[in-house]
Amino acid sequence: MIGEWTPLIAGLEFSILPQQLANGILLGSIYALIALGYTMVYGVLRLINFAHGEVFMLGAYTALLVSWKLGFTQENVAQHPDINGSILTLVLLLFCSMAVCGIVGVVIELLAYRPMRNQPRIAALITAIGVSLFLQYSGQLFLPNSPPPSINQKVNPIQGATNIPLRKASAETLNNVSTTTAAYEAAKAAFDAQLPNEESRFQLSPTGQALKETMDEANRARTDAEATANSERVEIILPNGQIVMFFSAIALMVGLHFLVNHTKIGRGMRAASHDFDTASLMGINVNRIVTFTFFIGSALAGAGAMMNATFLGTPLTTFYGVVPGVKAFVAAVLGGIGNIRGALLGGLLMGLAEALVAWAGYANMRDAIAFLILIFVLLFKPGGLLGSAAVEKV
Amino acid sequence: MKFWGTRLGSIVLAVAGCYLLQTIFQGNPGMNRLVVLACLWVTLSVSLNLINGITGQFSIGHAGFWMTGAYISGVIMKFQPQLKSMPAMQLLLLMMLIAFIGTGIMGLLVGLPSLRLKGDYLAIVTLGFGEILRIVVNASEPIGGSYGLFVEPKVNSIFIAAMLAVITIAACRNLLQTAHGLEFLSVREDEVASQAMGVNNTTIKVVAFVIGAAFAGAAGAVFAHLEGFISPTSFPMAFSFIVLTMVVLGGTGSITGSVVAAIVLFAIPEYLRGMSVNGEPLRFTLAGFVAFAIAGIGALALAKYTQDRVHDSKGKLIRYIGAVVGAIVVTGVFAAIFRNIPALGGKEIGVDQIRYVIFSLVLIAVMLLRPQGVFGHHEFGWHWFKSKKSQETVA
Repeated sequence: MIGEWTPLIAGLEFSILPQQLANGILLGSIYALIALGYTMVYGVLRLINFAHGEVFMLGAYTALLVSWKLGFTQENVAQHPDINGSILTLVLLLFCSMAVCGIVGVVIELLAYRPMRNQPRIAALITAIGVSLFLQYSGQLFLPNSPPPSINQKVNPIQGATNIPLRKASAETLNNVSTTTAAYEAAKAAFDAQLPNEESRFQLSPTGQALKETMDEANRARTDAEATANSERVEIILPNGQIVMFFSAIALMVGLHFLVNHTKIGRGMRAASHDFDTASLMGINVNRIVTFTFFIGSALAGAGAMMNATFLGTPLTTFYGVVPGVKAFVAAVLGGIGNIRGALLGGLLMGLAEALVAWAGYANMRDAIAFLILIFVLLFKPGGLLGSAAVEKV
Repeated sequence: MKFWGTRLGSIVLAVAGCYLLQTIFQGNPGMNRLVVLACLWVTLSVSLNLINGITGQFSIGHAGFWMTGAYISGVIMKFQPQLKSMPAMQLLLLMMLIAFIGTGIMGLLVGLPSLRLKGDYLAIVTLGFGEILRIVVNASEPIGGSYGLFVEPKVNSIFIAAMLAVITIAACRNLLQTAHGLEFLSVREDEVASQAMGVNNTTIKVVAFVIGAAFAGAAGAVFAHLEGFISPTSFPMAFSFIVLTMVVLGGTGSITGSVVAAIVLFAIPEYLRGMSVNGEPLRFTLAGFVAFAIAGIGALALAKYTQDRVHDSKGKLIRYIGAVVGAIVVTGVFAAIFRNIPALGGKEIGVDQIRYVIFSLVLIAVMLLRPQGVFGHHEFGWHWFKSKKSQETVA
């Protein structure tokens, strides 16, 4: 009655599965970076920082504006084709994004969340929604957003891609490819030799017509053989920039792990997240801890934003942070909100889930999967995968 | 006898009022549409107030239910075109009824699993359901997908829209007057205590959710036939936040508060759009906006400081007045200064662009200064004036 719906599984290509999984893991590392901000703030304040996605958006815009200041505008690059970024440019963009995001996060906490600290959690949540809307829509007034600009790819000096072959096509198929190619070459040569005797390419004599048909036939066999070879060959192609992105994200997370577990302020963070009031009684300056937590969490989001915007080159709007923000939040809940390792695990799983949905032929549903996962996690395992068993009843 | 007299009298008055609204704005097509939209926003905010304010279950997926109602009506009209031969009013009423029931069922499906959660998690999950609905509709080619769906015929009736708003208000108000309504309030105040008193919390929550969703769905059907065209972008996530702002500003649990807040927040952008100086439409520049934002944040900070730190009532009053007057003066001064900066003074902005900024600032300001909303849990009514008078006589 309501027309034809797409079949449940639209047709699976197993040869592209490894590539999709690799993409998912690379994307998941960015989700994990953003998720850390949610999870740390929630751990300390029990507040869902709705505006975290907007901090991510501001980080991407910072990278864009700094790259414009460095001369990577569309017009300038068109005029000077030899302009090229270096590793130093990337590091500068990264630090600018991290610093701006960290400061924005601290300011949001100071102005909007600190006065709400003794109010019910719902009041704080509504404030967070307000801050998020404010950043999205007032950003529209100030930031370049139509047409959506994107960071010029010349900023990125790490071009090229790494090719990881997983399975080669079988010898028989390869043999078939070379035979059919040779046959096609021969037929083409014969046809080309005949061509000078013809009136034109479109008005052929019977001999020419026969030669042309042979050539087309050989060409068809050759393309078929090549298609078979392609579907048998399994390989992963990774842009080098994204590999750097992945390892930088991992390095930042390792740094965070060290910070939280082996420094004095990290111990303060763990204490505040364990019991906020008791920590303040034990002589920990909890306000400073909260500020620091917001700074670190927002700076990590800024790093993720800069790498996402630079290496993936997505066009920026002021709503750039909404979808990654939601997915990262789901990642944090999936891993167990408040748990730093959980955020990493959740981020990678979110990336994989999204890649699998796209692989199954539902690319336009990839934003819905995040919410579905969230609903199922909250209903069946509210503590998340790595969360403590004695999690508060949500 | 008096009871039935009041009852019948108020029903007659309500119907007459809706009819009067219809006759006043009938001839003016621009106003006509605005009045219908205002009625729909009132319906939405009151129905969300039943869930958020009265039952205390924080839901922010109302745009999803609104969309469900609109699409139920749109899809029926697409696949049963013979219905177009019905008279327009009866057709609209039929569609509203179907959308009411259909969206109520959708509310049941969404509510049953998600109402096991509380607080901020419930908020996120309802937001999630709203988004999933939108994404699924966006991906469904047979019902238009992202290209949208034309809804025939276009029906534009202030009377029906206003009656829908009145019925929603009456349903929520009358619910609170009965013993059943007390159960809803008890769930909001303390779940453990209400359970101990024999209230089935889950049933109450789900019932509130279903009723709220159903009214939003009926509003959606009216919206679909008003616009004649619906697409997933007609119901963005931001609409849920607008309805939320209305409920929060009016006061969670105050029906009159929601009504007033819905009308005011709907009217402000429309009023700004229509403003003109010497016959020329008023233009807003970034300079004015920045000046207003600076003054507003300053006034907000002063007001918050006054609320927390100043304790004598005279000093409080002076500071509050000072904050308002200061904000106006500072806006004027800064606007005059910023006008000369080309980057700010030269850039014009539309009312639609600042609309959401205003909403977000209202949301933050209400939360900072008066988290329970302007009216709090109270209703606006005759007793306000009565009690003042009696106080005066006592004094």
